[in-house]
Amino acid sequence: MNEARILYAMAYRQLKRYFRAKSRLLGTLINPLVFFLFFGMGWSATLRGSMARQLFGGIDYLSFLAPGIVMMAIFTASLVGGISVIWDREFGFLKEVLVAPASRAYAILGRALGDSLTSVLQGLIILIPLYFVAPALKLEGLVPTLVVGFVTALTFNSLGIAIASKMRSPEGFQLIMSLVTLPLIFLSGAFYPIDNLPQYAKVIFYINPLTFAVDSSRYLLTGKSSLNLILDLIVLLSLSLIFLIISIRIFKESTID
Amino acid sequence: MVKKAISVRGLTKRFGDLVAVDGISFDVENGEIFGFLGPNGAGKTTTINILVTIMKPTSGEAFVAGYNVLENPIKVRERIGVVFQDNTVDRNLTGWENLYIHGLIYGLKGEELRRKIEESLEFAELTKFKDVPVKNYSGGMVRRLEIARALMHKPEILFLDEPTIGLDPHTRARIWEYIRRLREEGGVTIFMTTHYMDEAEKLCDRVAIIDHGKIVAIGSPDELKSNLGGDILYVKVSDRTISLKEFAEEILEEGTALSYKLLGDTLAFKVRSASKAIPLVFRVADSMNVTIEEIKYAQPSLGDVFLHYTGRELRDEEGDWKEMARMRIAVRRRR
Repeated sequence: MNEARILYAMAYRQLKRYFRAKSRLLGTLINPLVFFLFFGMGWSATLRGSMARQLFGGIDYLSFLAPGIVMMAIFTASLVGGISVIWDREFGFLKEVLVAPASRAYAILGRALGDSLTSVLQGLIILIPLYFVAPALKLEGLVPTLVVGFVTALTFNSLGIAIASKMRSPEGFQLIMSLVTLPLIFLSGAFYPIDNLPQYAKVIFYINPLTFAVDSSRYLLTGKSSLNLILDLIVLLSLSLIFLIISIRIFKESTID
Repeated sequence: MVKKAISVRGLTKRFGDLVAVDGISFDVENGEIFGFLGPNGAGKTTTINILVTIMKPTSGEAFVAGYNVLENPIKVRERIGVVFQDNTVDRNLTGWENLYIHGLIYGLKGEELRRKIEESLEFAELTKFKDVPVKNYSGGMVRRLEIARALMHKPEILFLDEPTIGLDPHTRARIWEYIRRLREEGGVTIFMTTHYMDEAEKLCDRVAIIDHGKIVAIGSPDELKSNLGGDILYVKVSDRTISLKEFAEEILEEGTALSYKLLGDTLAFKVRSASKAIPLVFRVADSMNVTIEEIKYAQPSLGDVFLHYTGRELRDEEGDWKEMARMRIAVRRRR
């Protein structure tokens, strides 16, 4: 019972913060939107006709791109949320949790759940307008996509928490963000299909968790995919579990020195 | 045996080459306000961090509320409230929300939780501002919120790390009022650190003076000061028929003063207690037909006590900054 309260308290905090920090909301929305506008509009104008469609499994480029953009939004928001544990350390709130008799495992889990909820919300905010411009998106794919998005968010949020615990100061925040986010986004198959890549290049995509998130949401939203949905889900679920356990382990041992 | 609120034996904490806390031992009795007085970088915060279980000591033992901080950290955490030197409230949340989260984390629920939040807001005199994000609070308001929050779950022991650092004099006085109110209401032991001697003097039942990680003196402020040899009484005489020396000798003979010095037409007596000595001096003056024009006395401050034990002045800024910078550099290097 106590555990449930801690879970709720920490999730409550993340949600409250989310709805109060308009700049963070906007900041993590801008990148996906920019990519969608500049990449999407440009390529969709170039890659027209049935020949081009075949490249993307028979759908138009905007519809091909849309799921990747949604996952990109969820991925960025959740990773930023996880790494923002360093601000909790810097501005003291972490100490409030560390001196409490509460379960630290549930505290960090609650934080991750709250952040993941807000990340999925970010994804939804992006996805809704995409329905109007990407004709091949299926409405029945909306809810399953958000569920996959939630698992993806949990994965990257706990990865962020683990990264943050290894950082001694917030100065490295920007560096990590550009060092981790951009490569992962470009190597996820969000912008082009990975089917025709040479085998050695595919390996790089397969070790990127985001690949599986993009692939599964593309299947759910458009019916097209490069991999198998079940495989995608197994990979995502196991990764989220592994990263959660790692972040809980790290947080349990947290002292401030 | 009645357990002590806090019991510390041979506590040591090293950061690489730097010994932040150097084998200190002390006890804090139930219900008292116990203060750690020392300059920045003396090891006060390190000691608090160990006592509240968020830092591990290099060696030595510490018991808080009867539990070993290393073996039973959860038991300790259940029984303490902590106000850290740096604010630990979430600045983006309102006062109410911060208290709500704290209450949930400490196992409060339903009606009781809501009642406790209202009580805490009232205690902190922040009821009017409960729905304002904390980032819009003044420094004093944040401190009051933090103290009220730390008390919300009725801890046995309250830790206050530099409760008034960085606050203006008016706000400091107000925070002192809060701490005094806690003592009057009873039930909570307070362990606090400070580098302000007036703060230690006004609030603490007992004080440990700490310097370079070591406790150099421990006792009530009065004890510590009287160990230095009591007060100094200045007596200026205007009208007399006998010499100043005769007058002074007579007072010494009465056993009122321990020694004296002549400073022009003023006599400086070293006395155990000025308040007891003053009437006696007047009586002697009367009987010898000496008119006293002016009488004043100076009490040694805890600052004098600090100077006596460490050979250095306890100042707020400059010197301490250097020491703090040195410590920061040492800690950075370790990383």
